[in-house]
Amino acid sequence: MPSIDQIKSELTARFKGALKGFDTPLPTRLFVDVDKNSVRSMCNVVVGMGARYLVSIGYDNIARDNTLGLVHTFSFDNDNVFCCVRTKVTADNPVCDSITPDIPNAGWSEREYMDLLGMKFEGHPKPKRLILADDWPAGIYPLRKEVPWNLMPPAAEDVAYQLDEAPEGCTTVPIGPFHPTLHEPAHFAVYVDGETIKGCDYRGFMTHRGIEKLCTTQVTYNEVPFIAERICGICGSVHATSYSQAVELAAGITISRKAEYIRTFMLELERIHSHLLWLGVAGHLIGFDTVFMHSWRVREPVMWLAEKITGNRKTYGMIIIGGVRRDILQHKDDILNVMNTVEKELIAIKNAIVGDTVIHRRTKGVGYVSTEDTVKWSLVGPVARARGVNIDTRRDHPYAAYDAVKFDVPVVDTCDVWGTLLVRILETFESIKIIRQVLNDMPVDEPLLYEFDEPIKPLIHSITAVEAPRGEVVHYLITGEENRADRWRVRAPTYPNLQGVPLMLLNNQLADAPIIIGSIDPCFSCTDRMALVDLTTGKHEVLTGEQLEKLSRSKKG
Amino acid sequence: MWLTSKIKQLFVVTKPGTVTLAYPFAPRPVPENFRGQPYWDHHKCIGCGGCANHCPARTILVRDLCNEIRVMVYDGSRCTYCGRCADLCPEKAITMTPQYELATNDKRDVNETMELFMLTCQRCGRCFDHEIKNAIDRLTYLGYRYDNLEVRAVIPVSTQVFDKDMYEKTMTYKRPGKIGE
Repeated sequence: MPSIDQIKSELTARFKGALKGFDTPLPTRLFVDVDKNSVRSMCNVVVGMGARYLVSIGYDNIARDNTLGLVHTFSFDNDNVFCCVRTKVTADNPVCDSITPDIPNAGWSEREYMDLLGMKFEGHPKPKRLILADDWPAGIYPLRKEVPWNLMPPAAEDVAYQLDEAPEGCTTVPIGPFHPTLHEPAHFAVYVDGETIKGCDYRGFMTHRGIEKLCTTQVTYNEVPFIAERICGICGSVHATSYSQAVELAAGITISRKAEYIRTFMLELERIHSHLLWLGVAGHLIGFDTVFMHSWRVREPVMWLAEKITGNRKTYGMIIIGGVRRDILQHKDDILNVMNTVEKELIAIKNAIVGDTVIHRRTKGVGYVSTEDTVKWSLVGPVARARGVNIDTRRDHPYAAYDAVKFDVPVVDTCDVWGTLLVRILETFESIKIIRQVLNDMPVDEPLLYEFDEPIKPLIHSITAVEAPRGEVVHYLITGEENRADRWRVRAPTYPNLQGVPLMLLNNQLADAPIIIGSIDPCFSCTDRMALVDLTTGKHEVLTGEQLEKLSRSKKG
Repeated sequence: MWLTSKIKQLFVVTKPGTVTLAYPFAPRPVPENFRGQPYWDHHKCIGCGGCANHCPARTILVRDLCNEIRVMVYDGSRCTYCGRCADLCPEKAITMTPQYELATNDKRDVNETMELFMLTCQRCGRCFDHEIKNAIDRLTYLGYRYDNLEVRAVIPVSTQVFDKDMYEKTMTYKRPGKIGE
């Protein structure tokens, strides 16, 4: 149980020379500046004290002191402390020790800054391209300030990502892009031995939109919440809230209590509809369309309610820096009615499916990851809570009005897909509980918006986390000049969870791959197309639907 | 266990009856305060440019054609219907209409262009609020950057200054290998 002072004294004792200073803008935020050679050992010490790795942030500081900045962020969940280990490398020789061998979840973050900032990490186990397109020219690092936001280098033909080599005796089954489980293009190369999955390589980021770059070059602070909301089609308010909180922290704004309650309400409303959506999709993926139809039927009144309150069924546009835009109290009766109906209907659906042995057979024991591995890989959200890890940002790092509402954090230890299903259903009931409390306790006569006229000081670091339906969203903000952020880093919950998918897939049946990938709640589609790659000859052919059907029926080849 | 679940499911399925709406055939009214297509009232607009300044999609353009005429262009093709412009308009010249069926095969159908006659001073003959204190100039103080509508008509290649040497490198860089190489 280290408090912020204990962390400080521990780090001071162990890193006397390398430590350059502490910064604690808030009692819950600790920024540590350290020499680049000690980053890896310091991260290990921080993790050893019980911290959970969140994300790394790289930023371009070349114009100021010819360095590239790097921040590794950690969360002490029991003590409500965010610890950020900051370092810098010179732009001429941007080499730093990789922390991935110790903290596997940092793998993507570090690969990201190899792509976007041109950093180099010594000892990274898989220094491959992650974010940029395969035909993006080497030597152009889009997140550096000198590169314009709308640069479009000429495209190249016939370039492909080099997938990891398949283990011996295994066949590669490509899933995606645009395949079974994903709305959004993402490519999983699954290595199978017979029907059993022996490994997996992932190539994604095919729709990388460069929102962070756009928002730090083209628009000002005030417009970003609306763009942030469009990061995700399902949990938009989460990103808007998180971004707004980050700016408010940096600028020292305190918003009214009423606005905090309304934000809490929006976040919980979003959680309800997102979990119902996931339940439906999960049912659909295992071929149980009754669940799909009916959880979406139950979800629809929630969407209409959102339309009534905010003016649209999704992308609510409710949350802006300094507060919220609309009041919800005039809809109190509507909200309570909808909540009662949803609760009643969801209990019926829950009772109808929890005892269904068909669902048990498809989900129990599928996608098993032990609790230790979950902690090691820093998985978040329902995926972690289904594996016995008791973390929830709403409770551990209270924001908005979560310090005032009472709710339980459902944790199960089945360590499989069934657990994620159970956790999500239970969380939906908790959300309904929270919404009722919000409507009861909310102050009536407070302003919705805090007006703020002074310019925000540049180069202030702030970090916030918000519990999205899928897990924990982390936003890291560095304020800049010209009324816009200098660097804004968004870490969506799928970012750490997707890195755990190879672990979940291991030793499972190929037929379970969709529901396992689906259990972390990315987005899904139902395109059906399959390519066979013969690894020994390198020949590959694409099958049409008919051929595939024929092949499947003939039970040969 | 299996059978009781199926019986319970049967109840869940049969109880609600038909819930599908007859939408394209029967109108679906939207609630009050719905954020549909924005509408500019040229009688009320004073051309202050506040909407352009706060548009997250940067879909509103303000330009002065000459001393007296200010043009405001709203490009609906990438509007996100956040309704921020309507919130901020000091004259309430913008309203979010309940109109949401906006599919069209001509982009211009969702655009709106206004030419505003700016009042001039009777003594000096110039616009009020012109020169340095011009509303359009003030936009840039707050970090506003134009997105050039003319350039956007074609797919952008590069509209900002960029290091030429670095760009030339893109032509000769070593590309990753082909499949199977």
